[in-house]
Order: sequence, then C-alpha cells, then structure tokens
Amino acid sequence: MDVRMLRPALALYTGAFLAFLYGPMIVLAILSFQGPNGGPQFPIQEWSTYWYRHLLGLTETSRVSQLPVGDSLLRSLALAFMTTVVSVVLGTMSAEAFRTRFRGSGPVFYLVILGMMVPGVLVGLGMALLSNVLGIERAWWGTAFVLHVVYTYPFAFLVMLAIFNRFDRSVEEASLSLGVSPAQTFRRVTFPIIFPGVLSAALFSFTLSYDEFSRTLFTAGRDLTLPLSIYGTFSVEIYPNLFAFGVLTTLFSFTLLVIYGLLMKRFTGTRAGRFSGQEAVA
Amino acid sequence: MTAMTTDLPLTSEKSPATVREATDRRRALMLLSPGVIWMTLFMLLPLGMVVYVSFWTQTTFAVNSTLTTASWERFLSSPTYLGAIGTTLRIWAIVLAATLLVGYPVALFIGLFVKNRTVQTALLVACVIPFWTSFLIRVIAWRPMLGTEGAINVILQKLGIISEPLTFLLFSEFSVLVGMTQIYCVFMVGPITFMIARIDESVIEAARDLGASFGTIFRRIVLPLSMPGVIVGAIFVSVMVLGEFATAASLSGRKVNLLGNIIVSQVGSLKWAFAAVAGVVLTIIITAVITLALRVVDLRKEM
Repeated sequence: MDVRMLRPALALYTGAFLAFLYGPMIVLAILSFQGPNGGPQFPIQEWSTYWYRHLLGLTETSRVSQLPVGDSLLRSLALAFMTTVVSVVLGTMSAEAFRTRFRGSGPVFYLVILGMMVPGVLVGLGMALLSNVLGIERAWWGTAFVLHVVYTYPFAFLVMLAIFNRFDRSVEEASLSLGVSPAQTFRRVTFPIIFPGVLSAALFSFTLSYDEFSRTLFTAGRDLTLPLSIYGTFSVEIYPNLFAFGVLTTLFSFTLLVIYGLLMKRFTGTRAGRFSGQEAVA
Repeated sequence: MTAMTTDLPLTSEKSPATVREATDRRRALMLLSPGVIWMTLFMLLPLGMVVYVSFWTQTTFAVNSTLTTASWERFLSSPTYLGAIGTTLRIWAIVLAATLLVGYPVALFIGLFVKNRTVQTALLVACVIPFWTSFLIRVIAWRPMLGTEGAINVILQKLGIISEPLTFLLFSEFSVLVGMTQIYCVFMVGPITFMIARIDESVIEAARDLGASFGTIFRRIVLPLSMPGVIVGAIFVSVMVLGEFATAASLSGRKVNLLGNIIVSQVGSLKWAFAAVAGVVLTIIITAVITLALRVVDLRKEM
C-alpha cells in the first residue's frame, strides 16, 4: 500500500516545513550573538552579548548608533493597552447583541469582520486624508488608536461570539428570575463564564496592536511607535543590534503567551472544580 | 441557537413573549450601536474619503477639492502604475498557489495522519507560534538567510554544490515570494487542518472497507470536505498579500513595486490624489477576489 509510504513521507515533509518556518528566526537569533566587529551575516567573528548591551545603551562609543526603541516601546505598550480595553468592551457588547436574533444581523456581522480584512495601508491612507481635511493633527493616541481598534475589535468579537454560542442562556435567566439585578447577574453569572473568552480576546488585541505597522504608518504623526522605529532602520544598513532586538521582542511576546496560559489554566481549573457536580449530571 | 429559532413562531402569538422579544431587540441594538458607529466613522468614512480624494486636483505639494479625473487618467496611462497592478496580481497568484502547495500536505498530515489529539494540537501550535512574533522581525530575518553571505549560500558553498554565492536569492522577486510564503502559509495550514480534522473517521473507514484506494479516498472525500478550509485560507492570504508593502520594501531592494508600495511612496511625496487612486484600484481588486471566494463558501457558517 502506498499509504504506508505516505505517512513517513508527510511526517518528513512537515518537519521540513517547520524548519522553513523557524529557520530564519533561528539564524537571526544566532547572529544576534555576533561580536562587536561582525556584520549582520556569517561568519560569527566571536561570540558575545555585545549587541544586546548596545541595544540597552550599556556600551560606550560605537560606530553604530543605538536603535531608537526606548520611547517608542512605551508608546506601543500604552497604545496596545488602550486598544485592548476598547476592543474587548466593544467585542463583548457586540457578541452579546448577536445572541438575540435581529434583522440586519448579516450586514452588521460583515461590517465588523471587514475591519480585520481591509488592508491597513488603505484605512491608514483614508484616515490620513480625513484628518487632513478636518484639520485634526495625527497622533498615535488618536488617529492610529482608532484604526488599531478597527483591526482588533473584529478578533475580540469573533472570540466572544464563539464563547456566547456555547453558553446556555437559561443560566442567566435563572439568576434574573430569582430577582438578581441585571448588573449583578452580569458580574456574578455572565462574566465568570465568559472570562476565558475575555482573556483570549485581550491577548489577541494586545499582540496585534503591539505589532501593528501598516495602520500606524500614515496615522501616527510625529511620535513613532515601536514597529515604525524598526521599519525606519530597514532603509539604512542593518546591524546585529536589530537582531538582538528581534530576539528580545520575541521573548516578550512569548512571556505574554505564558502569562495567558497560566491565567487560563488557573481560571478554568477552579471553574471545573466549582461546576464539576453539574457537569457530571449533564 | 436552532432551538431558539424553532421556539419563536410558537410563542410570538402570546403578548408577553412579543413584548420581551421587542425589549430584547432594543437591547441588542443598543449593545451593537457603539461598534457599528466606530466602524462607520473610522473605517467606512476613511475608505469613502479615499474614493472621494481620488477625484481631487493634485498640485505639486497639496490637493484641493476641485473634482477632476486627471489623477485617474495619469494613473491609467502610466506604464509604471499599470505595471504595479500587474506585479501585484502576479505576486498574489504565485504566493496564493505557493501557500496552498506548501501548506496542504502539512494540513493533511496533522489533520488526517496524526491520530493523537495532543500531538495534533502540539503540531498546530508549532505552526502558529511564529505568527506570534513581530511581523517586521520575521521579514528582516530573511536577509541573513538569503544574502550573498547568508546562511543558505554559506551552507551550499560548504557542501560544494556552488562555488560562487547565488545573488538572485536576496533583493529580488524571489526573496519577496519566499518571505511572503513563509509569513502567510500559517493562514492556509490552520483552516485546512481544521476542516480535515473534522472529517468523520467512519466515512473514511467505510470507503476503505469498500476497497477504495488512498488516492480515491483523497479525491472523493478528503479534498471536497477540505475545500471550505482552502477557501477561507485563500481569503486570508489574498487579503494580506494584496495589501502588502513592507515585505516588498525590505526584501526586494526596490525591484518589486506593489500597489501598496505605490501608495506609500506617493504619500511620502505628498501626492495624495495619486495615492488615493492606487487605493481605489487596490480596493476594487480585493473586493473582486473576496466576492469570488464568497460565492464558493459562506464565511459566516464556517466560522
């Protein structure tokens, strides 16, 4: 049978595929330990953490100017945080609305989804034109921020929609009919059930906004965000300090992922414990 | 959800139910309006602005709102801009085909051949993790890989396969294609794996018991049932590749000019009206591609 041959062949292929996915990042990580006199390519002159110290401004005078990441990092974190809060709130509200059948739900669904589909360079251009006409000054906390939400809110919406689809409405109705106020019901019943979704939506929004580049390019104004600072270095010669930065920012993203995983595990763990009796009945 | 809809006609005659339905609907509209207003003001309005400004008059460093088709005429008669449309479509078609060809066997392996749930999840996570790192860093990571002194040339020279470094690897259309394929194939692998993993095991067993070869099973069962995944993946990849400019800007050495690159360079020289024309052309192309794909599959049902 050819199937017996196919299995190892496909396994081998998948291995090669993973090498293709990870290869460039691994090479980049290796080259980030290049010596002070080495360039952004092989061979490695000597192994050192010089470019990491250079990135953090710990080296003395250097032929290479420091990457301008300090202020822009803070801006990007603030922007990602603002974007996360607004898109999770909007996403939860919209998904909650979609639990009721109403006319026009189709067009509204596509309107929201369009936000993650439409190319960043297009909305960025449109927003820049709009702010020119209206005489609004472009800024990362204004014109760029609203576009980031346009991009991440659909992701939050889809995550919350998936959560609400699996969540029986009668649980809330029971609480309401027992005389608990709607606000209390949301806090004590609805929110604990949807919390894993909120956490996932927040993780998505934060990461996408933190890394967002094309929507920010025309709309950030004078003060640059982190991806814009990085993009600025592409046009000039690149040095291994960019690679060191790449390694650090990747580690940062993974840290977020680990925190998310721990929170998720802790939360779903206690929830399973609390509701274990009910699940056995179901 | 289905239970709710079948209940509705029965209860709608009773007045308390009708009242409740009305309050529910009002509540839904209230919950929905902030999102809809946000998307209208900050997405639809800017997009409308792009169309509007494409008919404005372009002077050397500014635009004014006198309506004209001059920018359109200049765009459509310029070999550079028309060439950019051609390049965009060519790169899109090649990357779409490449992500499908590279990604499908991986999805087939993870979805169909890996039976252990944990291994399946681990492999999928391994495919998605690179998506979690910075996009620009992943683009730039191809430079030390493909350059004349890059990893590939060094390895090939060490192995004695080539004596001179290959120069077509970096700052060419090739590097743009490789970079985009690597960055976007995750969006192909994910949806296809999802659809293949959903295929009922007993259907394949039944086919095997009836004497179908693997080729037949693949052609008659797996391939048709995975098509929604292929379409969803194709939509993701198409939308992202068509709106691209960063990969081309940093890996092609200015040799590849996509519509996105045209927009960026026109904005850089304050030619807002030309940038807007390129934006409208891009919108038309993307709309055509998505419409075509949505004819084949209803996205809302798949998600």
